[in-house]
Amino acid sequence: MRPTPLVAAALAAGLALAACTSGGGDPAPGEPVTISVWVAGDPAETQAFVDVARGFEASQRGIEVDLLQIAERDDLIARLSTSFAGGEPPDLFLMNYRYLGQFESKGVLEPLEPYLASSSELSAEDFYPEAMAAFQSDGVQTCMPQNVASLVMYFNRDLFERAGVEQPAAGWTWNDMVVAATELTRDIDGDGAVDVYGLGVDPEIIRVAPFVWSAGGELVDDPERPTRFTIGSLKAIRPLQAFLDLRGVAGVTPTDEEAEAADFETRFLDGTLAMVMESRKVVPSFRTITDFRWDVAPLPVHERPATILHSDAYCMTSASEHGAEAWTFLEFALGPEGQRIATATGRTVPSLRSVAESGAFLDPSVPPASSQAFLDAIGAIQAVPHIETWPEIEDVVNALIEEAYYDPSGRGEAGELVLAIFDQTQPLFDRANAGG
Amino acid sequence: MGLWLMAAPFLVGVAALVVAPALVTLVMSLFEWDLLQPARFLGLGNFRELLGDVAFRASLRNSLTYVAIAVPLRVAIALGLALLMHRRMRGVGAERSAVFFPTVIPDVAYALLWLWILNPLYGPLNLLLGAVGLPTPSWLTAAASARWGVIVMGLFLIGEGFLIALAARRAVPGELYDMASASGAGPWARFVRVTLPLMTPALLLMATRDTILSFQATFVPALIVTEGGPPPYGTTYLPLFVYRNAFEYLRYGYASAATVLMFVLTASIVWLQYRAIDRARRGGLWAGSGLGGT
Repeated sequence: MRPTPLVAAALAAGLALAACTSGGGDPAPGEPVTISVWVAGDPAETQAFVDVARGFEASQRGIEVDLLQIAERDDLIARLSTSFAGGEPPDLFLMNYRYLGQFESKGVLEPLEPYLASSSELSAEDFYPEAMAAFQSDGVQTCMPQNVASLVMYFNRDLFERAGVEQPAAGWTWNDMVVAATELTRDIDGDGAVDVYGLGVDPEIIRVAPFVWSAGGELVDDPERPTRFTIGSLKAIRPLQAFLDLRGVAGVTPTDEEAEAADFETRFLDGTLAMVMESRKVVPSFRTITDFRWDVAPLPVHERPATILHSDAYCMTSASEHGAEAWTFLEFALGPEGQRIATATGRTVPSLRSVAESGAFLDPSVPPASSQAFLDAIGAIQAVPHIETWPEIEDVVNALIEEAYYDPSGRGEAGELVLAIFDQTQPLFDRANAGG
Repeated sequence: MGLWLMAAPFLVGVAALVVAPALVTLVMSLFEWDLLQPARFLGLGNFRELLGDVAFRASLRNSLTYVAIAVPLRVAIALGLALLMHRRMRGVGAERSAVFFPTVIPDVAYALLWLWILNPLYGPLNLLLGAVGLPTPSWLTAAASARWGVIVMGLFLIGEGFLIALAARRAVPGELYDMASASGAGPWARFVRVTLPLMTPALLLMATRDTILSFQATFVPALIVTEGGPPPYGTTYLPLFVYRNAFEYLRYGYASAATVLMFVLTASIVWLQYRAIDRARRGGLWAGSGLGGT
């Protein structure tokens, strides 16, 4: 037996592999430092981050950005967890607060509070506190929000005008919305099938939550450290039933099959959906619309204005060897210039007050003309919890809501839905609170 | 020694890529581990939790149903096509290639294609069914239809089984058919008394192999086409359950326990199939065929 060639080959392969995977370490003097940044979203969404990265590189010499665009949030989480385990996480990643609980308090995130405290470029007061609060852990700023979007109502102005229906405006009620959606839901060609629906809304907990809050109900017992859902009260059951009735009773939203055949964003782009509840992320694709005029309005209210936070933040990993350079990038990305670049794509509602309240975001000549609605909504923003098991809880609850929303019998019962939610989510709350 | 040396690269590969990960999975199944913090020993806690998990029970049921329906169908279709195409004739090469072709399409591309085909309103399948007056199933929104959709997707990925069946059919000596015909056997009798017995070893091999594959083959269709739905867990199969728990919820220990159970289940079914093969072999089902009989 002569193992020498085999051993040599294995060593060579190992060295080659090591050479390929060793991304850390200091660059040679004079060479730029490269920081890695991971973001998730479709190309239209992530274009904002591409533009910011290129803008940053053009603004200085010495730091380059290796931006990895990942198609789905799930894939980003999978890659992050395995990269942490492998010891090669990115320097920065962008994450919605609802999914941050899986990474918080586990020693893998570098708190940005000290960087922020010593920064001459950024100050905590420059940002909307509603967004900042969502990324704090025990009062410490863990990550820095890049946007402060919320759930709003997009509407097709031409469809409203042609139907003679009053357009959504601040203070409009849930009933106003149902009436408008009913009048706009039409079988135009008389073939018995609906051609234009009044409303599109995904049957998900993050769509239902604002209306529970608006009716005076609460989602959980303690938003910071929830131990159970509290949607069994009348103040929660009523808006939940009203939500389910949008499909089962009013029939103003597409059926299960129709929603599966073409999603709401596509239907709105086609001009076959009068209103759609969405966050700011759809604006880049809506800006491609040339056939009709569209705008945005606050959510309708039950008793008081309420909406839900949709915010993503840059988080730094504790394994990053380029913390200073990564923070320099954040100072640009979250500063006036970076926020203006991101805003120009339409994707974000800037978390930096000065840019959000400037023409860069509010210019009425660039749709949506009423972007002020996003800023007006900030005072009514609430956030869902972000405990470790929240992603699982959302998946379980979303499946139950969807099942009730498209109930084959024609009308999902909110009471039964709530009982199922209690039953299936309690073990998940318990597991989070047990620390496992 | 020379033989071992020649086999060494393969053995190293199997040890590093199959045996070692399997052992790690087995160990991980006894822990709670999110890859971020130190693992916590749970003993059989993950397995106990799995038994009471609604999603796991649904995915187990879905996977077993899939295997029970898809494997016989795939083997039968591969056999049928092999019988139709085993003779040398004009154009048969293109036909064989057509049967094999879907197998080489990347999984994700294949799944995206079916996402369009199964579109309940605009998909060509329902448009065709509707045009000829047949019912148009809600492929992606009704649980039973969605499960059938996943099965139908798998029926076209039979290229490798088809090749095995084709080779087995071509290995059957032609003289046996001549003798059977001379003794008055018709087409059906020749199939039952000559073709089937002599191809049985290959068919059982295909069934065993397909069973192992089928437990995993549902992953991409369930992830991309049906997303595990419609709710509750309409097309959540074991691989998707494992993936979500490991990579989305960071419950690697729990997902490992489910993987171990999936392995035990697969091994049990394969063992039962092996027993059936062994019994058939001892019973002389294909004695004298030269394909494994005594």
